[in-house]
Amino acid sequence: MKLDRRRFILSAAAGSAVATAGALFPGISFADWPKITGNSGVVSWQKAPCRFCGTGCGVLVGVVEGRAVAVKGDPNCSVNKGLCCMKGYHSVQALYGADRLTKAKIRKNGEMVEVPIAEALDLVAAKLKETRDKHGKNSVAIYGSGQWTIPDGYVASKLFKGCLGTNNVEANARLCMSSAVTGFMTTFGIDEPMGCYEDIDNANVFITWGNNMAEMHPVLFSRMLANRKRRTNVKIIDFATRTTRTSAAADKSILFKPQTDLAVANAICHEIIANDWVNWNFVGEHVSFHKGKTNIGYGTEDNFAFTDQDEAIGFEDYKKFLADYSPEKVEKISGVSAKDIKYMAALYGDPALKVTSFWCMGMNQHTRGTWINNLVYNIHLLVGKISTPGNSPFSLTGQPSACGTVREVGTLTHALPHGTVTDEHDRKMAAEIWGVPVENIDPKPTYHTVEMFRALDRGEIKFMWIQVTNPMVTLPNLKRYRNGAKKEGHFLVVSDVYPTPTTDVADVILPAAMWIEKEGLYGNSERRTQHFGQIVNPPGEAMSDTWQIIEVARRLGFEKQFPWSPENYIEKIWEEYRRFHAGPKHEMASYQVLSERSGVQWPFVNGKETRWRFNPKYDPACTNGKAFDFYGKKDNRAWIWARPYEPAAESPDSDYPFWLNTGRVIEHWHTGTMTRRIPVLHNAMPSSYVELNPEDAADLGVVNGEKVKIISRRGEVTIPAQINGRGVPPRGMVFVPFFDESYLINEVTLDAFCPISKQPDYKKCAVRLEKA
Amino acid sequence: MMKRHEQRNRWVVAAAALCCLTISHFAGERAFAAGVGNDDFDHQSKKFFVAYDAVPEPFMTADSGDRNLADFYELRQYPGSPPRIPHPVDLTISGNGTDCLACHAKGGYSAEFGKFIPVTPHPENSLCYQCHVQKVTDATFVASTWQSIKPPRLGLSFLAGSPPSIPHSLQLRENCIACHTGPGAVAEIRVSHASRGYCRQCHVPAVQQEAFSEFRRP
Repeated sequence: MKLDRRRFILSAAAGSAVATAGALFPGISFADWPKITGNSGVVSWQKAPCRFCGTGCGVLVGVVEGRAVAVKGDPNCSVNKGLCCMKGYHSVQALYGADRLTKAKIRKNGEMVEVPIAEALDLVAAKLKETRDKHGKNSVAIYGSGQWTIPDGYVASKLFKGCLGTNNVEANARLCMSSAVTGFMTTFGIDEPMGCYEDIDNANVFITWGNNMAEMHPVLFSRMLANRKRRTNVKIIDFATRTTRTSAAADKSILFKPQTDLAVANAICHEIIANDWVNWNFVGEHVSFHKGKTNIGYGTEDNFAFTDQDEAIGFEDYKKFLADYSPEKVEKISGVSAKDIKYMAALYGDPALKVTSFWCMGMNQHTRGTWINNLVYNIHLLVGKISTPGNSPFSLTGQPSACGTVREVGTLTHALPHGTVTDEHDRKMAAEIWGVPVENIDPKPTYHTVEMFRALDRGEIKFMWIQVTNPMVTLPNLKRYRNGAKKEGHFLVVSDVYPTPTTDVADVILPAAMWIEKEGLYGNSERRTQHFGQIVNPPGEAMSDTWQIIEVARRLGFEKQFPWSPENYIEKIWEEYRRFHAGPKHEMASYQVLSERSGVQWPFVNGKETRWRFNPKYDPACTNGKAFDFYGKKDNRAWIWARPYEPAAESPDSDYPFWLNTGRVIEHWHTGTMTRRIPVLHNAMPSSYVELNPEDAADLGVVNGEKVKIISRRGEVTIPAQINGRGVPPRGMVFVPFFDESYLINEVTLDAFCPISKQPDYKKCAVRLEKA
Repeated sequence: MMKRHEQRNRWVVAAAALCCLTISHFAGERAFAAGVGNDDFDHQSKKFFVAYDAVPEPFMTADSGDRNLADFYELRQYPGSPPRIPHPVDLTISGNGTDCLACHAKGGYSAEFGKFIPVTPHPENSLCYQCHVQKVTDATFVASTWQSIKPPRLGLSFLAGSPPSIPHSLQLRENCIACHTGPGAVAEIRVSHASRGYCRQCHVPAVQQEAFSEFRRP
């Protein structure tokens, strides 16, 4: 950088002022932290997406002397426009927990001993090869997450699907948003939201479906509140199973009984048709009607299999199907008054109002997750409120790259970076770009996540590599899977940044570079790809997950497929990966553009981002000459599905009379391995708890802070009670945040899942309570 | 003279070279290339004038001396971090603008705390708990090796007697009078001339971007 004359005078003046003013307040520091000594006070700022949720806020990380010391919201990033939440502002503190994993460890005679990372990688490669040779290609597996960067997931898929020929590639995102994916695929034939966060500035009505946005997506929730404050005709309706901070901030809170969102969504459609609020032009041109199988099961048994079968129906058939869902009938099932159902239907039905629906885990972690996603799309499609600013059925995500890595790269057993393993054309494309014989790619999907861990328990999978996630806290019915993981004859490799209950069961621990300690890319909920450079160095021998996989791939003889150098491997991987998405439906920006901007939305065609898909005003992939083009489906229409209400896999009964619901709190993210090491967040939320309804607590004889034993058919947890805290469940329900490894609530939950998406339901199982 | 960025790059390269001895990755040459020019965003200045009009002069010029800079920084993790909530709050704080902002939007005297209330510079953000956290324990989950840096210096006048520059980013802190005037303001950063209406007539934002270094002919 050239120092011009004016700048020189300025900095000289500042420097001399520093010399005198520096001693003005000697005792002051921030929260009593030790200060970096001898630094000039200059902070350099560099952009990155936030490490935590799927909102994808832009942050600016301040660096002094090679250490991250501060965070600002990135005003250049349209996601958050310079505002973060408490996790984002303190995110850099997550790099500095005193127990960072900095050396590789391997299990020798039952003890974990430190070894050079090269030795650990040798062992990983040798064990992988040995297992595969001895037990076949499907005895080895890799399990990642939506915290994988795009290059992490890409090389994992390339190695396992392309080179090793197994579809044993899964990710925590299966537990998190696979119902959203199958919802998109069944309704639109193409994944990810059609809208974007600008919908928040344009909508008049927000309906949050089982979604405590005020705590889980606070930056987007704030944007809703700002919209409501700025304009006179904006309303927020919280439609949920318990009263939360979102209910408190909403204009109206409507509570429904768990699982009955299915019935209410159908009742809203019933009401829209009964009042003739249907947008007939839209429906006639752009919608077709379908039904699938019913009584589809819950997947609680091993080797459960289900394939849906669609059947085209007419509007009249659909109307007849809805006859069972009049508001009055549904009031009896759902506990939502017919009046409230009609109120919601009227909001969706009023042609003068723009409506955005938001949902996340409430609808996705649901044994009918695909169905409820379909049903909310049905509402928007009947009234034609979609793909225009402010009219948006919007599926939020929980992990920073659930969309970017898991959904777009396709790190799920059935998927490829473009399309699916079952499709010959997609296999050929992958084989060509990867430089492998097409026969390498197995056309048959293997295990989804729950079944993969069942297979580990059964002994079918003998080698598993787990990166950037913590299944020994997050899996439902956890006891079975932890006992399974501990069985002899398995070899478990875990890459992580801190010790966790998952590294506890590992045979090899690989220390990983975290977030801004490596270069990478994430993809957020609104189709935005976000690049970040390496901003600080990783500690010790910590290595990026991508490079760990490359090292192992080379040891297995795949130098040709993994030829990159450490200087520019991320750029090379990105440019290779980008070839999968060429074309107007999914064109990705170049490395150059991504490294310069605070995120770019795809499809990125001719230098322009696509904010609303399926709408020719914004989306260059629309070619049918009509007002909308739902090009994901062969009939160029979006599909309305007749999906019935079916009960939950396990409902309260006389032995287990309470619903158990689990979720998150604003302070902590996922299993808390990072946020609990941020002192300011741990100080605010040091432990998990169980929320009780005050009357249930009185019946139980429990007051705030006393311990309650929560017992299900699978396990029990004893945990302090919180009564009239930030959330209040209705009578007959308890709620437990899952972040705390001292209270493993997933030992209590049930491993039932949506038969279509295979995503487990963490929101509903039956428990009984005892005063502990 | 070695310029700041070069110095840093060399430092990183050196560190990377060390890494290379063992794991041979992470060259750092590009690591700092994508630096972002910051503090170029200045479209929120209206906030100040609105606030200035709304606050009576006697309030702005009052001084309780209750808070000092050490208290101020004690609640923060680094310059510009959202301060913790230093007093008990109801767990059910709702985010509908009637709780925190009832006191912190305008300030005034709190009989409950026996103190004058600090005023938020950004009352338009009503979901306070999005960024500001309580403290229910001093314990940490594990120890931390976090280090802070020096707070920005005061009295950064460019010439003797000239108005000092603004040493912090204006992002979320566009409204000067919120923190620099009134009886709840921190003693060291209260201005002596609170009633003047246009702070940035004289005070320029000058967040220190470059280290001082000796002049050498290019």
